[in-house]
Amino acid sequence: MWELIIVQPLTNLLLWIYDTLGHGPHMFGLAIILFTVLIKLLTWPLNASQVKGAQAMQELQNDKEWQDIQKKYAKDREKLAQEQMRIYREKGINPFASCLPTLIQFPIIIGLYQSIIRALSATPLDMLKLARTVYPFQNVENIIPLNSTFLWMDLGRPESIQILGFGLPTLAIIVAATTWLQTKLTMPATSNPNDQTAQMTRMMSIYMPLMLGWFSLTFASGISVYFIISNILGIVQYAATGRANWRNLLPGGNKQTSPAKK
Amino acid sequence: MKTKKLTLFFLLIIGALILSACTGQPLTNNYPGLATDGERAYISTGSFIYAIDVETGNQVWSYPEDPETELLYYANPVLTEDGQLLIGSVGTNHAFISLDPATGQEKWPEPFSSAKGAWVASPLVFNETIYAPNTDGFLYILDLNGNQMSPPIELGGALWSAPVTDGTYIYINSLDHHLHILNPTTGESADPIDLGGAAPGSPAIGNDGIYVGSFASDVKFITPNGNNEVIASASDWVWGTPAFDSETLYFADLSGNIFSLDLTNNRQNWDSLQPDGPVTASLLVVGDQIYVATEAGSLIALDRDGKIVWEKTPGGKIYTTPVLANDLILVAPYQAEFALAAYDADGKQAWTFTLDN
Repeated sequence: MWELIIVQPLTNLLLWIYDTLGHGPHMFGLAIILFTVLIKLLTWPLNASQVKGAQAMQELQNDKEWQDIQKKYAKDREKLAQEQMRIYREKGINPFASCLPTLIQFPIIIGLYQSIIRALSATPLDMLKLARTVYPFQNVENIIPLNSTFLWMDLGRPESIQILGFGLPTLAIIVAATTWLQTKLTMPATSNPNDQTAQMTRMMSIYMPLMLGWFSLTFASGISVYFIISNILGIVQYAATGRANWRNLLPGGNKQTSPAKK
Repeated sequence: MKTKKLTLFFLLIIGALILSACTGQPLTNNYPGLATDGERAYISTGSFIYAIDVETGNQVWSYPEDPETELLYYANPVLTEDGQLLIGSVGTNHAFISLDPATGQEKWPEPFSSAKGAWVASPLVFNETIYAPNTDGFLYILDLNGNQMSPPIELGGALWSAPVTDGTYIYINSLDHHLHILNPTTGESADPIDLGGAAPGSPAIGNDGIYVGSFASDVKFITPNGNNEVIASASDWVWGTPAFDSETLYFADLSGNIFSLDLTNNRQNWDSLQPDGPVTASLLVVGDQIYVATEAGSLIALDRDGKIVWEKTPGGKIYTTPVLANDLILVAPYQAEFALAAYDADGKQAWTFTLDN
């Protein structure tokens, strides 16, 4: 089922873009970039709802009623949860709205990794699997084997640049840096030290770059290209909504000067 | 705050550098390689190469003693007349090694390690010279001690199949859709011949030329001067080496069709034969029987009229070309209970060999 719904369509989409681009050197990297743009466009409404959901959750942290129930039911977690759900319902907030796009990203990332490995077919067995994956309309005989070169990288292998005999994983560093940048820019300003959303976002700004950086170190560099482009587009999308918090990039920039209370 | 951020940044850099030393390419997975000298069979799979006594099915030796994750093998090992077993690694370490077929001990002081790619293809040994194709697109030329005799020849594309020779020229198929013809005496190569698709299998020598199957779903006959013609069409990719037998050429495609081509008139000897699923392995012709190994895990013996004489299922999937060892047909299934199984001409199982964990 996973193969049919995720890996096959993604592999065919990648192959189709690659074929359309002219299937020469560097074209598979460009195909991954175009693929990422396409995925971002398709998930644009979901990302927009994530932004909206995160904003609503952030505003809720500064809501007087919300803060009151936190204090009132501090020792009764069950009652607190019931009251929180009531407020969510009354205000029309979906607490999971901010998580959904992130959850949707994971199958895409895993599927894309499998698709890249499948499309590049480094082993005869992979090539055999590719033969079963391609849709009949694809003119795959003409385009395989794919050219895995992109700039200085082999997209089927983890990337590093040799400096003084040591492999510096430049893509992993760029992935970590752009992930950190994106998380920072989307982190809302807050004055509430107990703001759970802000605390979670702060933790995310540490763990997400490390995790994606580690993925980039371990897996095919085609995945890193996806991460970098996805992060950049995420930043652009967030900036386009006018909500990017550029002050977060400055030391102490995530503090709000005056609390916004309702 | 600034100090914290700088600390985090440098921790990230240091962490990345440390992790880069610990992590590498994921394990390369593929079906096994197989060869025999009649006395022993040799299987390459994962980190090991095994020698198995053909008479008993017992393991004679395995190499190496301590496996290394960056050294992986699945090419068909190649035996030389001077008593060497040659094979290259497909792991992140691209070592090309020589073993003693009797003991499994390394024969060269150092492996040949200059190639940038993996050794998916087996080498050709001709006139005391090793011609070793690599996935980096180069053909490496070594003496029998593992020393490079001349600069490698760039052919282009990943080279997955063993070169063959007619005694004058060397023929090498490439995944770049071309056949390369090399004159080993002069070192010159003719203009590559377009096959119309990638060719992962080796050419077959016969009738003063070669027969080549490819992903263009056909078989071409090519002469050393570059003349070529399509002599047969298949309904899917032709993966394995066609089997040349006097006036008949046997080959199979990925849809599982088995073809028998009469080379005197380029007509098929039978209409349609699709016994049991896709075939990547080359067909093996022994006496009056043609042996077909299928992805579905069957070893099928056909007579020359295309009738099934017997069919056995060692299990797993069979992608590796069966080999003949004395009177036994050896088959190396992938992901099966057995790593190697031996059958006689009547289909009776002589023995099986199981890998110990």
